[in-house]
Amino acid sequence: MAPANERVAPAGFAALAVKFGERQRSPHWLLVKEHQVREGADTAHPPRRTLFVLNVPPYCGADSLSRLFARCGHVQSVEVCEKPTPGEKKEKHTSKFFNRKSATGFQVAYVVFRKPAGVQAAKALSQEGPLLISTESHPVKTGISKWIDSYAASVVDPEELRAEVDAYMQDYDKKIAEEEAKAAKEEGIPDEEGWVKVTRKGRKPGLPRTEAANLRVLEKEKQKRARKELLNFYAWQHRETKREHIAQLRKKFEEDKQRIALMRAQRKFRPY
Amino acid sequence: MAMEAMAGSPEAARGGRRRGEEAAPALRPAKLSRAELYRPPTSEELSRLKETEDLFHSSLLRLQIEELLKEVTLKETKKKKIDAFLCEINSLLNAIPETLETELTDQAWLSKGVKVPFLQVPFNVKGKFRFLPPAELKVVGSYLLGTCIKPEVNVDVAVTMPREIFQDKDNLNQRYHRKRALYLAHIAQHLSKEKLFSSVKFAYMNGNHLKPILLLRPQGKDEKMVTVRLHACPPPDLFKASRFYPNKNNVRTAWFMEQSIPKEGFIEPPTPHYNNSILCDTVLLSHLHFLSNAAADFPGMKDGLALLKVWLNQRQLSKGLGCFSGFLISMLVAYLLVKRKIVKMMSGYQVLRSTLQFLATTDLSETGISLAKDVDASLPILNDFHQVFEVVFVDPSGLVNLCADVTASKYHQVQFEAKRSMEILDDRMVDGFQVLLMTAKPMLRTFDHVFHLKHVSKLQGACKKMELLNELMDRGGNYVATALPFIVSLLTRGLARRALLLAHSLPQVPEWPIDAEPPKHKDVGPLTFGILFVPEFAATVLEKGPQADHPEALDFRTFWGEKSELRRFQDGSICEAVLWEADTVCQKRLIPEQIVRHLLKLHADIPESSICYMGASLESVIRTGKKVPGTGEEAMVSVVCSYDDLSRKLWNLKGLPLTVTAVQGVHPALRYTDVFPPIPMKPIYSFHTRIRTKHLLLPSEEKPCPAYVAPLKIICHMEGSGQWPQDKEAIKRIKAAFHLQLAELLQQQHQLVCRPAVTHTDVYKDGYVFRLQVAYHREPLILKEVVTPEGMLKYQDTEASQQLEMETLHLPYLTSSLHGLQQQHPVFGSTCRLAKRWISAQLLGDNISEECVDLLVAFLFVHPAPFTPPSSPQVGFLRFLDLLATFDWKNNPLIINLNAGLTDADCTEIKSKFLADRSRLPVMFIATPKDRWSSMWTREQPSVQILQRLLVLASESLRALEEQLMDPLNSQDVKMVFRPPLDFYDVLIHLNPNQIPRHLENVDRPVKSFFRGVVKNSTATKILFPVVDYDPVQCYLQELRDAFSDLALFFYDKHGGEVIAVLWKPLSFQPQPFKVSNMKGRMVTTLNNELVCVPNVEAILEDFEVLGEGLVKNVEARTEKWTI
Repeated sequence: MAPANERVAPAGFAALAVKFGERQRSPHWLLVKEHQVREGADTAHPPRRTLFVLNVPPYCGADSLSRLFARCGHVQSVEVCEKPTPGEKKEKHTSKFFNRKSATGFQVAYVVFRKPAGVQAAKALSQEGPLLISTESHPVKTGISKWIDSYAASVVDPEELRAEVDAYMQDYDKKIAEEEAKAAKEEGIPDEEGWVKVTRKGRKPGLPRTEAANLRVLEKEKQKRARKELLNFYAWQHRETKREHIAQLRKKFEEDKQRIALMRAQRKFRPY
Repeated sequence: MAMEAMAGSPEAARGGRRRGEEAAPALRPAKLSRAELYRPPTSEELSRLKETEDLFHSSLLRLQIEELLKEVTLKETKKKKIDAFLCEINSLLNAIPETLETELTDQAWLSKGVKVPFLQVPFNVKGKFRFLPPAELKVVGSYLLGTCIKPEVNVDVAVTMPREIFQDKDNLNQRYHRKRALYLAHIAQHLSKEKLFSSVKFAYMNGNHLKPILLLRPQGKDEKMVTVRLHACPPPDLFKASRFYPNKNNVRTAWFMEQSIPKEGFIEPPTPHYNNSILCDTVLLSHLHFLSNAAADFPGMKDGLALLKVWLNQRQLSKGLGCFSGFLISMLVAYLLVKRKIVKMMSGYQVLRSTLQFLATTDLSETGISLAKDVDASLPILNDFHQVFEVVFVDPSGLVNLCADVTASKYHQVQFEAKRSMEILDDRMVDGFQVLLMTAKPMLRTFDHVFHLKHVSKLQGACKKMELLNELMDRGGNYVATALPFIVSLLTRGLARRALLLAHSLPQVPEWPIDAEPPKHKDVGPLTFGILFVPEFAATVLEKGPQADHPEALDFRTFWGEKSELRRFQDGSICEAVLWEADTVCQKRLIPEQIVRHLLKLHADIPESSICYMGASLESVIRTGKKVPGTGEEAMVSVVCSYDDLSRKLWNLKGLPLTVTAVQGVHPALRYTDVFPPIPMKPIYSFHTRIRTKHLLLPSEEKPCPAYVAPLKIICHMEGSGQWPQDKEAIKRIKAAFHLQLAELLQQQHQLVCRPAVTHTDVYKDGYVFRLQVAYHREPLILKEVVTPEGMLKYQDTEASQQLEMETLHLPYLTSSLHGLQQQHPVFGSTCRLAKRWISAQLLGDNISEECVDLLVAFLFVHPAPFTPPSSPQVGFLRFLDLLATFDWKNNPLIINLNAGLTDADCTEIKSKFLADRSRLPVMFIATPKDRWSSMWTREQPSVQILQRLLVLASESLRALEEQLMDPLNSQDVKMVFRPPLDFYDVLIHLNPNQIPRHLENVDRPVKSFFRGVVKNSTATKILFPVVDYDPVQCYLQELRDAFSDLALFFYDKHGGEVIAVLWKPLSFQPQPFKVSNMKGRMVTTLNNELVCVPNVEAILEDFEVLGEGLVKNVEARTEKWTI
C-alpha cells in the first residue's frame, strides 16, 4: 500500500506517520490536532498551545514524544493517558510506591508547546516522511531488556519505603487526632438549631446508622408480629394451606413438564 | 381435565419441540395465572397426584420415565410391518425343498455359496442328516411379550426341526449341534435367493459358538427396523431329560481328542455347559408360556423390563458370551413375581427398584435360586448345579441353568452396579433418572485401571498350563470361554483387598455373511479387563502372607512363585511376604500392573507382550523428574511441609505489634493441584547480574532466561485491633509496614532471606519462595463503605473489595476445602493437574480460571454417580472430559456439595433461583456451599465462545483418547490430545526457546534445553535472592493484550509453549466510522468516498516483533485465512 494514498485524516486532524525504527516498513498513523476546550479554562492543557495526539503506539512514551516534536518548537510538557481526559487535572499527591499505574497499550497524548507556532508546525509534519521513535542516539528499550529493567525497578528499597510509610502515617495520625479533638469539643453541645450530635463515642451510643442495623430492626419487628399470629387455628387457614399445597404441586408439575419438553427438544431421551 | 390432556396429548409434545427449536432452548420459571393455580382440583387430578406420590419418586421422574419408554418401545405401525414380514418368512420356510439323506460329514450337497456356520473340530462324527421342512414355526421371546426395545429390535423365531432327521445318540459329540447348523445352513441357502431380504447372515447366539442363528433383515428402508433371528430347536421330548443332568457326560474324550480307542477304566468328566446348550433349545416354548403368564394383566412388568434392559445396556452387560441378557432379566422379574416380591399392582419404576434391590442383596454365585416347583424328586438339586456352574438360576423345568455362561465376576459386577444404583435412587441430591438410565458406562470411564489381553490365542497355552482339558471339551474347544473364569479368579485372588471389583469384557463375535467361514475362537478380539480400586490398599507395597511354619505358607509360595520371600516383621514374626518395587506414588499406583503381569506369566503362560496395561499412559504429560519416573506428588508434599514449618514460625514470631491469627495458603501447590509443583532451587551467581547492596540477583541479558521460580502465595491474617486505621489508604501503608517488619523479623529470628515489597514479602526458604501477604479482616468492609445522602452507612460491592475478598477470604477457604478433598481421595490432585495440563495445552489456560477447573474436578469426586470416585488420574481425566462435553451449562447449575454443606432443599432453591436469573448469571454456573448465588470463580471467564470451543475440544479429545485406549493393537500416542490444532488461528508468533523459562514443561519435552542457572537446593543459608516470578512470555502477553485486546485474542500454553496463537476478532475488522475513542492501532482510509477506520494490520504485525524484542523468533501471518 502506498503511503501517499493513506494520508487521509478526518476533519481537523492531520495524520503523521510514525515508525519504531529504520527496520520497520509499515508506519502507524498519529492523528494530531489543536486541542480545543469547550468552556472553562483547562490549566493543564492551555488552548492554542496544546497539541492533541491520538493513537500513540505502546512503545512511545512521553520522552519519545517530546523528542519527536522538539523540532517544531520548544515542548513545555507532555502528558500521556489512556483516554482523552476533560478538564484540568488536579495535582495529586504522588507516591513512589503506592497507587502507581503505568500506562500501557495505545494512548492519547497532550503535547504543550511553549508557543502556538509549535502546534502548527507539528501539523505540518504530515507532509514529511515517517518519524522514528527509536534512533541510535536515543534507543527505546522493548522486549527482554525492558522487562529486565522493570523487574529491577520492582525491587523496592526497604528504608525508603519505611520512611514514606512513616511520614504518611504521622500525617494521618495527626489528622485523626484533630478530628477527634474536634468531635470531643462538639460532644453534647447543641448547634444553632438546638440539635445534639450523637456519636458512638458518646455516653449513649444509640443505634449505628447502617443499612444492616436497619434491616435487623425490621426483621425483629416481623418476628414479633409472627409470634402473635395463630397458625391453623381458623378453618379458613386450613383451607388456605391445602390450597397452597396443591398450587405448589401444580407449579412444580408445570415446571417439570417444561423441563421434559426441553429435554425432548434436545433429544435427551435417546439413551444411546 | 386440562392438565391431564396437556401431559399426554401429542399436540403438546410437538408444540414443545417446535418452541424448543425456534429459539435456542432455555428453561424459564413456570408462570401460571392465579386462576389456574388456585382453581378447585378435580378428582382425576388428585388421583394422579396421589399416584405419582405413591408409585414414583416424583412427578419429574414419572414424566421422564414415560418419555423414555415412548422413545424405546416399538410403535404400532412398525409392529404391523413386522407382522407382515414374519408372515412372509413363514410361507418361505415351509416351501424349502427337502434333501436326500447323507452322512453328517458329507456336506457336498450344500451349495458353494454357503459355509456351515459351525467350527467342526474334530471334523469326523457319526450320524446322518437330511433336510425336511420345519415341523413348526413359532415366534418366541420379547416381541410377543411386548418387551423388546430399540435400538436393536430382534424377533426370535423358533424353527422346530422334524423328528425324522434325528437318530439315536444325537445327544453325543456335538451331533445335535451340527445337525442344527446344517439345518440353518440349508435354510440360509434358500432364503439368500429371495428378494425379500436385504441381508441374510449368521451370528452366534449370545456369543456361544455352539449355537449359530440365522439373521434376516427386511429389504429397503425398513432394513434397520428389525432383525428376525431363526433358532433351530428339536421337537419336544426328542431327548430324555435325565441324559442332560449337570453331572452327565455327553462328549466323549476319545472322540474329542481324536483317539481311536477309549482308555480302559477312564471315567468320562461331566459336560454341564454342553448339556445346558441342548436343554436351552428344548424349553424355548415353555419359557414363552411361563413369561406370558407372568406378564398377563401386569402393565408395570412391560415398562419395568424396558427400563431394566436400558439399565443393562448402558452398563454394557447385555451382549456377548455370558451376558445378563434381556431374557434373563425377564425370568428374574418373573421369579420375583412368583416369590411375591413384586406384585402386579406395581409400576415400571417399582419393578426396576425391586429387581435392583434383589440383585443387590442376593449373591447367586453362593445361593442359587430355582423356579422349579418341588415335585419331582429325581431332578437335580441346586447343589448339583453349584458344583459345576459359577452362577445358578434354574428355570421352571428344573433342568436348565439360565446363568450357565455367566461368570461369577460378571454377576458380581451386576450386583455391584445394582447396589450402587440403589444408593443413587435413595439419594435425593442426584437426578437418578439421568444417572441410571441415560448415562453410558463404558469400561474406560468406569474402571480405574483397564488392561487388554491383546492376543487371545495365548489363552490356548493358558488352558494347557492350567490343565483345563475337560472344561475345554465341555465348551466345545472354546478356549477363551474356558480360561476366562479361571484367569479372573486368579487375578481376583492376587489383587485381593486392593480391588473392589475386577470385571472383564464379554467375548463378542460380529455376525458374518453366509458365504464366509465361521469366525474362530480368536476372532473375539482383545479381551478387556477393568479394576476398581480400594484407595486405601491399592498402592500397598507389601503383601503379607502366613507365618513360615503354617501349612498355608506353601500355598502362598506356589501362588506368588519366586516373588515370595521370608521376611521378619517388627512384631518378631517371620512370614512369607511379597514386596513390590515402587519408589514414587506414581509407581505405587502401578503395583496392580506388576501383580497382573506376574500372575498371568506365572500361572497362565501369558507373556508380558500380550498384555497392554492402560493405567498411567497419560501421566507422562505431568512427569517432572528426569531420572526417577515420578509425577511430582512427592515434590508437592515437601512444599506443603515447608509451608507448614513457615506457618509455625510465623505464629511464633516475636516482636510483632499485633499477633498473627491465621496463616492460609492460596497457591495451587498448597492444595496439591499445581500442574508442575515447584522444585527447590538455588541460583548460581555467575549466571545472573548481581546487586550486592540489595542482596539479590537479576536476569542477565546475555544469558538464557533464568528458571521460573513461582512465588507460593500465603495469606497472613493479623489480629483485629483498635489500632488499625479505618481508612483504606492508611491500611495500605500499615500493611506495607507489616511486610517490612515481617521480613526483618524472619531474617533476625530464623535467618530466612526476605525481600519485602509494598503488597507482599517474598521469603526464600528450603529452596522455595513464599509470598506473604498481610490481611486485615475489616479491610474489604471498609472498601465497601458508602455513605448515602441521608447519612446512612451502606455496604456496596466494589471491584477492589471483591478482589480483596476473593484473595483473602474465598481462595484460602477453597484451598483448604480442596486440600481436605485430597486427603480423602489421593488422586484428586493428579486428576486436576492432568485436566489443567490439557486445558493449558489446548491454549485455553488463560481463558478459564484455575479454581474453576479444580472445582470441576472436585465435582467428579464429590458426585461420582453413576460411577465410583476415581482412583486413578486417567479415569478421572476421562470423566472430566466427559463432564465438559456433556454438561448442559445453559439450563443447569453445577452444584458441588463440598463438605456436605448443602441440603436437598438448598439445592432446589439454587436451581430455581438459577432459572429465574439465568440471563444475568455467568455462562458456567458453579455453586458451592459457601458460594451459592454468585459463582465467583466463573464470573469473568470463560466467555460463551471459549466455553463452546472448550466443549468441542473436550468431546473430540475424549473420542480420540478412548479410541486409542481401547485399541491395544495399534501403537498409541496418547499425547495427541495434548497437541493443539493450530490451523485454526490467524497469526502465529514463534518464540525463542532460550527465553522461555518453563520450556521443559512442554508436552513433547525437548530433549535438550538451555541451562537456566539453578542447581538443586543446597543447605547454604546466606544467599542472594533469586529471580522470582519472572517469565518474559507472560510480560509479553500482558503487553500484547493491553495494546491489542480489542482487535485480537491471544492464546498460549504457559507450560513451555513455543508459540503464541493470535485470532483476529472478526467484528473489529469491519470498517467503522471514525471515533476519537476508537482509534487504537487503526488508521483512517476512504471507502466509497467515506472516511472509515480499519486496523493497521501491517504495522500491528511489526509491533508484535518490536514489543517482543529478543523473545520473538518470527511472526507467521497466515494471510490466506483473512483479508483486510
